[in-house]
Amino acid sequence: MDFDFTSEQEQLRDLVARWVQKDYGFEHRRGLIKAGGGQGIDPGTAWQALGELGLLGLAVPADFDGMDMGPVEAMVVMEELGRGLVAAPYAAAALMGAGLLRDHAPQVVQQAWLPRVADGSARIVPALQERAARHRLNVVNTQAHLGADGVWQITGTKNLVPVGGNDGVTEAYVVPARTHGAADASDGLVLFLVEASAPGVKVQSHPLQDGSRAAEVTFAAAPATLLVHDGLAALEHMADIGIAASCAEAVGAMDSLMALTVDYLNTRKQFGVVIASFQALRHRLADMKMQLELARSMSYYATLKLTAPAPERRRALAQAKVQLGQSMRFVGQQAIQLHGGIGVTDEYAAAHYFKRLTCLELTLGDTLHHLGEVSARMQDSAGVVA
Amino acid sequence: MDLNFTPAQQAFRDEVRTWVRANLPADIAHKVHSALRLDKSDQQRWARILGAKGWHGYGWPKAFGGPGWDAIERHIFEEECAMAGAPRIVPFGPVMVAPVIMAFGSPEQHQRFLPGIMSGDVWWSQGYSEPGSGSDLASVKTRAERQGNQYIVNGQKTWTTLGQHGDWIFCLVRTNTECKPQAGISFLLIDMKSPGVTVRPIITLDGEHEVNEVFFDNVAVPVDNLVGQENKGWTYAKYLLGHERTNIADVNRAKRELERLKRIARDEGVYDDVRFRDQIALLEVDIVALEMMVLRVLCAEQGGKKTLEVAGLLKIRGSEIQQRYTELMMLAAGPGALPFLHEAMEAGWQGDQFAGGFPGGLVQSAPLASHYFNNRKTSIYGGSNEVQRNIVAQTLLG
Repeated sequence: MDFDFTSEQEQLRDLVARWVQKDYGFEHRRGLIKAGGGQGIDPGTAWQALGELGLLGLAVPADFDGMDMGPVEAMVVMEELGRGLVAAPYAAAALMGAGLLRDHAPQVVQQAWLPRVADGSARIVPALQERAARHRLNVVNTQAHLGADGVWQITGTKNLVPVGGNDGVTEAYVVPARTHGAADASDGLVLFLVEASAPGVKVQSHPLQDGSRAAEVTFAAAPATLLVHDGLAALEHMADIGIAASCAEAVGAMDSLMALTVDYLNTRKQFGVVIASFQALRHRLADMKMQLELARSMSYYATLKLTAPAPERRRALAQAKVQLGQSMRFVGQQAIQLHGGIGVTDEYAAAHYFKRLTCLELTLGDTLHHLGEVSARMQDSAGVVA
Repeated sequence: MDLNFTPAQQAFRDEVRTWVRANLPADIAHKVHSALRLDKSDQQRWARILGAKGWHGYGWPKAFGGPGWDAIERHIFEEECAMAGAPRIVPFGPVMVAPVIMAFGSPEQHQRFLPGIMSGDVWWSQGYSEPGSGSDLASVKTRAERQGNQYIVNGQKTWTTLGQHGDWIFCLVRTNTECKPQAGISFLLIDMKSPGVTVRPIITLDGEHEVNEVFFDNVAVPVDNLVGQENKGWTYAKYLLGHERTNIADVNRAKRELERLKRIARDEGVYDDVRFRDQIALLEVDIVALEMMVLRVLCAEQGGKKTLEVAGLLKIRGSEIQQRYTELMMLAAGPGALPFLHEAMEAGWQGDQFAGGFPGGLVQSAPLASHYFNNRKTSIYGGSNEVQRNIVAQTLLG
């Protein structure tokens, strides 16, 4: 039992942290929001930088020219991206998309795509959200139809797809679609790969609340490659990779918020004293610290449980998202509160971290959704060591 | 980063589990699992069984007759005991005063006091709090005046847990009034059979006799009962606080009680009530998160690292969870938790005078409200949660 990072993991952390410190400051990010306009932040330059740092192939096996690293390395990178509020579909592409191909796709698909994912010339992101589904992965209305020419055709609409920039990188989507059955049936749910440049694919980008870019992607008989026939289990696995990444990103963001808040309390003076001397604020800070450390603890748990058998993994990741959801909301809200008036301005970083945390909570299942999952999966005994 | 115990730690767990389940008397385990009243003989019986194995002082180094376990082994031992239904070890002797005697006492004191603590034969009480000194412990006023080769002790201690059974009491006493309060405190060991010692019960809101007032009226204490140096007692008291930071979170017991909560909820027909079940699910998440935090602190301590900022959170969270599971158990029983039948919390109560057994509910509901009421103490004792928050904030704000 060990919760230390290896020196290689610490070096990986420093690699990302130094880039963020040098090239991705808060003012730079605000500039990106402005430049992005109605499309949301263009993640192109960040994506390129992450490529130059050699991070895009983190989850790709060595057989496919990747770095062949594991969940803890992924967690460390995500913590730093969260700490720096980096707007780029790194988790979606390098961890979820790459992870799905690595763990569930046929060899021929892996061979065709994973080396390009590793060298940065391709980007595969999940296209999961459908309006009717809310947080449920098994509710899919997008239809798949096998054409007379033996090519699958996908028809439907996916929302909040974490698309990349117009950067010349080949982009493709993991698209859950139904070959048969009711919208919420667990069989008939198949995972397909659809290229962004394929006929019948329309991408309409827009900003999310935190400024990052997402898109409504519509498919009209778009040609697709079959990835996983019994799709739900693979979809859940990919979602769990995403949840663990969200937890780690949130921990980094909350660390930043804590640091900003401590600094503000020790600087701001009212009534002739620094406001850090007021006990009500000190106790609130202690409560924030509690939520942060509970979150960090469950983020480690989520990452370490990614390799557990599926039922155990799903239960652990649901527990983690419940804790993280509560923590994110508390730390975000209270950081704003403790900053007073400037906390609710656009020009100060705290609000941006709060908005990012809110986006993370509402993605891949919010707190109440995962509470339902924990409740449904409850056993007689519970614990890290059961 | 790794969530698994080593094979050696697994083997240790198996050894402990086998021994505990073979040696913990079934009648005691039954009482613990059903939260029925334990008496002095129950607790002392278990202490003596542990003592004979050399495990009563389970945190002691080998040099003093202990098993010399590391932080993770101690945690595993605590977990196996809790899950088996062993009573909580009364900590005042083996966990609180013994380390102070070992670290700061004389070889003569080691010989005189440690064997009786390890064996479970001698019952110790803690003489810290006073009516005027709770959170502000350094303000203690119980006076010890040096007269020749003895101290004459006058004053009063309060909240003395299980002091009615105590053979000996370790006290923070004032030996100097002409200095900063912390600099005038001594650590004195007092035989409770000494003339002038009076113990008076304090009945808590659940009707139980768990704590006491202890009065000292010109009690003569041999100078040989002073631990370490005069006026250095506060240092020794703080030394104790630096010890055993994960134990106070009580997460192992929380896991056992969560299982019991689910059983009670099923018996009461609320386990499948979505609203109630969600409350259990929230508590389950809280317990898993606390356990992860405890394991992080344990591993850091095992590796010799300082964990002050996270360790300080454990008592706050642990106590809140203790309060929550007792609350949910009572809520599960609903109106069935309302009857207050003192006798029904003894093992083997029958209740023939009532038509339906336990009035309004199940007999297992008898202790639920009492435990909910009693557990309001957990956020108050051991450094109130408000004081703990002050300490956490101090480490953050500098």
